Amino acid sequence: MGDRGTGLLKIAGITTLLLVLWCILIWESPLSFLTPNNLENLLRRTALYGVLGIGVAFVIISSGIDLSIGSLVCLAACLLALFLQVDYVPVGQVDVWQVRVEDSTISVAADHGFTQGDELWYYKDRRNKGLVKVVNVGATTQLNGRSIATLTVDPPPKRDQDSRETKPLGKISSTFDVTDYQGSQTTLESDAPDLKHNDKILFVHASETPREKTVDRKGDGNQLVLTDEDSGLNAEFRAVPIRKIPFMSIPLAILSVFGIVLSLGIIHGILITRLKLQPFVVTLCGLLIYRGLSRWLTNDQTVGFIEYQETLGEVATGRWETGIQFMPVKVNPVDGADSWKIVWDSAEGAQMFGIPYSFFIFLTVIVTAIIFLNLTVWGRHLQAVGRNEEAARYSGISTHRITTLAYMLCAVLTGLGGVMFAIDSNSIAPSSFGNFFELYAIAAAVLGGCSLRGGEGSILGVVVGTALMQTLYNSIVLLKIPDELEFTIIGAVILFGVAGDELARMLAAKFRSKEA
Amino acid sequence: MTENLLEVHRLSKSFPGVRALHQVSLALKPGEVLSVIGENGAGKSTLMKILAGVQPADSGDIFMDGKKTSFETTRAAMDHGIVLIHQELNLCDNLNVGQNIFLGREPRKLGIVNSREINRQSEEFLDRVGLSVSPKTIVGRLTIGKQQMVEIAKALSVDARVLIMDEPTSSLSSKESASLFELIESLREQGVSIIYISHRLAEVKRLSDRVVVLRDGEYCRELIGDEITHSNMVSSMVGRDVSQFYNRTAHPIGETVLKVNKLTTPHWPKHSVSLEVKAGEIVGLAGLVGSGRTELLRSIFGIDRPLSGNLEVNGKTVQIRSPREAVEHGIALVPEDRKQHGLIIDLSVQDNIGIAGLRKHASRFGFVNFKKQKSDTDTMIHRLDIKTPSDRQISKFLSGGNQQKVVLGKWLSMSPKLLLLDEPTRGVDIGAKQEIYQLIEKLASESMAILFVSSELEEVIGISDRAYVMHEGQLTGELDRSELNEESIMRLATNTAELEEAKI
Repeated sequence: MGDRGTGLLKIAGITTLLLVLWCILIWESPLSFLTPNNLENLLRRTALYGVLGIGVAFVIISSGIDLSIGSLVCLAACLLALFLQVDYVPVGQVDVWQVRVEDSTISVAADHGFTQGDELWYYKDRRNKGLVKVVNVGATTQLNGRSIATLTVDPPPKRDQDSRETKPLGKISSTFDVTDYQGSQTTLESDAPDLKHNDKILFVHASETPREKTVDRKGDGNQLVLTDEDSGLNAEFRAVPIRKIPFMSIPLAILSVFGIVLSLGIIHGILITRLKLQPFVVTLCGLLIYRGLSRWLTNDQTVGFIEYQETLGEVATGRWETGIQFMPVKVNPVDGADSWKIVWDSAEGAQMFGIPYSFFIFLTVIVTAIIFLNLTVWGRHLQAVGRNEEAARYSGISTHRITTLAYMLCAVLTGLGGVMFAIDSNSIAPSSFGNFFELYAIAAAVLGGCSLRGGEGSILGVVVGTALMQTLYNSIVLLKIPDELEFTIIGAVILFGVAGDELARMLAAKFRSKEA
Repeated sequence: MTENLLEVHRLSKSFPGVRALHQVSLALKPGEVLSVIGENGAGKSTLMKILAGVQPADSGDIFMDGKKTSFETTRAAMDHGIVLIHQELNLCDNLNVGQNIFLGREPRKLGIVNSREINRQSEEFLDRVGLSVSPKTIVGRLTIGKQQMVEIAKALSVDARVLIMDEPTSSLSSKESASLFELIESLREQGVSIIYISHRLAEVKRLSDRVVVLRDGEYCRELIGDEITHSNMVSSMVGRDVSQFYNRTAHPIGETVLKVNKLTTPHWPKHSVSLEVKAGEIVGLAGLVGSGRTELLRSIFGIDRPLSGNLEVNGKTVQIRSPREAVEHGIALVPEDRKQHGLIIDLSVQDNIGIAGLRKHASRFGFVNFKKQKSDTDTMIHRLDIKTPSDRQISKFLSGGNQQKVVLGKWLSMSPKLLLLDEPTRGVDIGAKQEIYQLIEKLASESMAILFVSSELEEVIGISDRAYVMHEGQLTGELDRSELNEESIMRLATNTAELEEAKI
């Protein structure tokens, strides 16, 4: 829209800068820079930060700002971890409410379903646990307003206990015969519940320590295949089947995260357009609020997705193998000068170059964002509002809605970024995760030609800007520049880029006025 | 005769696409009131800005006391004793009178601002302009008229020998104007020269020793003493037969398109306005600047929500809460401030013309119909004869007239039923002006309803079928084409008696 020529010029300028930086890296440190591994990393980081950059670009183009991105990334990540929390619950487990030594009984909720002769697994804590047998099932009575049934058990309990509060004294669950155990394969008695992949079995024994095993898959018939073998196990053990119960399924969890960040984006928009609060202030408060919320929701504990290695972990570390193998290697020619070349054969140490999955997500975001910003009515309205909100309003554009839309888009992309970062790192420390990400995003957008005055900026520019930022980061590592200088160098390059851009603009204006 | 205080030789100034000033010369004697008049776009403001050092001239010389000078900054002009008093006052509302007078030149004692000295000296200057307020009064609490006096006092404090006043009475009440005139006369006696710019010919006639008329950026004529008559001024300014300039043909008038019922705008909560506009009718809305005309258009177009009252569009009562809804009802507004509200000045001609119709012409899923946008733009460039190298040209590089045509093109591409125009020919050169009048005429003949605000009496008289006149937020009258003349409009615009006073 508008100054298309200058827009292209900007992208060309920053792309040149990026290429120059790559040349420097290839010249200075080819052996580390040109490895498939390093390039994949560069792609992955660009993808992750790029999603945030595109998000904030929408807001910047609407002539606003979003400072809450880093905290929102953290909140989205923490929410995802919480939504994906997993509980392992023994099948048919019931709470124990009263223990009486006198007549060897324990009292459990009335709907227990145990019968005489059942062998049960009692668990209170590490020390108080063990197998017990039901000798007699007594009548149902009332205790503290609860309907309970009394079970006479053997061996008898050690001391009286009575739960007067809401907390149970322990849990008790059914056990099943292990009819067969060989290697990593086992069969339980036929009325044992069905177990699936990632469920568990706790093997218990009157005298041996219990062992927990994970089910890998169902074998033939009733057979279950476990993930590993245990020579200490045999058919003498009894089995406590344990079900994996996720709080939410993965799609539901991701959708919920998106729903929440989307509402936060709408709230930002409404505060800014209806209450006329300044975007800086609104999102600064967001930055503080979401950070605090994340820490509170997680009790300030690091959270992650250990249970989802095979699904989410795969997405995070997975890559699409291009089939191209290479590796830079050092050559020592006779005259002694160091030189290098690229080998293309795995026999000589070349490795497969793969494109990280996250980069494909990024590509999708790029294409959608470009189409949205340039070809749809809303995108054009957004640019118009950014250039001159009043004139846009006088042209019949609902400027409030368009501004709110920008904050919504930013929040959703931040949410997406949060999910991607969360899966990628798999360890979210709520007090620091995502710190400064808003500044990286804004910097990338500005470097890519977005003007904080609004109206100006292109998605492609932001992408190149992000790539440049990540390459800078990469070069700090590879060129062994002191770590402490990271921010200084990034800051200096942005300043250089922006000043150069402004200088070019002034010269262009001068040239134009001379021509006129 | 005394020596000339200020002389200007062959001053020229161009902006991209416009020749604002061409070889203009004039001279100013000490203790003289010189009025510079001319239509909008005649170059008055440009000339004054050059004299006051706001912008440099492209060519030409300025002589002060016979010595050649040039002003790069307002500060330099001020040092030579030339001070421009802007239409919009340049005072800091939050500071007091004394602080404003000495802003930037505060007398200091050991580096600390000496407030006592400020107040003492301020009183002197306030006394000279005949303003009896304490220097400690916060400027924001004063009326506009008194603020203007403060501004003049400030000018005197830098030993101003030439005061340039740009439309000083545009936002003053008649009483305030009267005291300003007295002040001007007393300043003249004190030997201060005044360059007075105004559209109000009655004021010009009353105050001036001499009148210089500019037309289309060029020096046109000088009027001295008895030559300063209303008709002389008008004919020199317009420079042609007025009746030919506004070429009206009769055409049939249809149903009522817009009916405004007791609408109260937020700016004038005490008064309500009722009016109507019919299809094919050109209705003028005259009045002084600040009389509530722009505010009325803004409320009709949904920019400000009216406090009460309603609108009927084509016989149906409607609630218009935003410009978007107004557009959906077939209403268009060409606003007064072209650069802030009319156009997105950094965008291309095509983007500006297409912007209003983006949603209307969008395909399913909200994709922009670029073909339609391009064809609409081409149609409008052709139809309105917009002079632009291409439809990709950035609007800010067009001349005022062509920019205005872009705004008109934006709305005509939407085929509105009602066109609201706010000062449609402000800052537009004379050729484009005539084209805009012809366009308005043609649109009306195609049965569009047109309601236009104009501060130029000639314009209201020239093209309206009918006109309403506003004064301080209310309609003071409605005039038929046969009743339209400068006097009848001014009487209503100033609410009768005050006009006689101004005319003496």
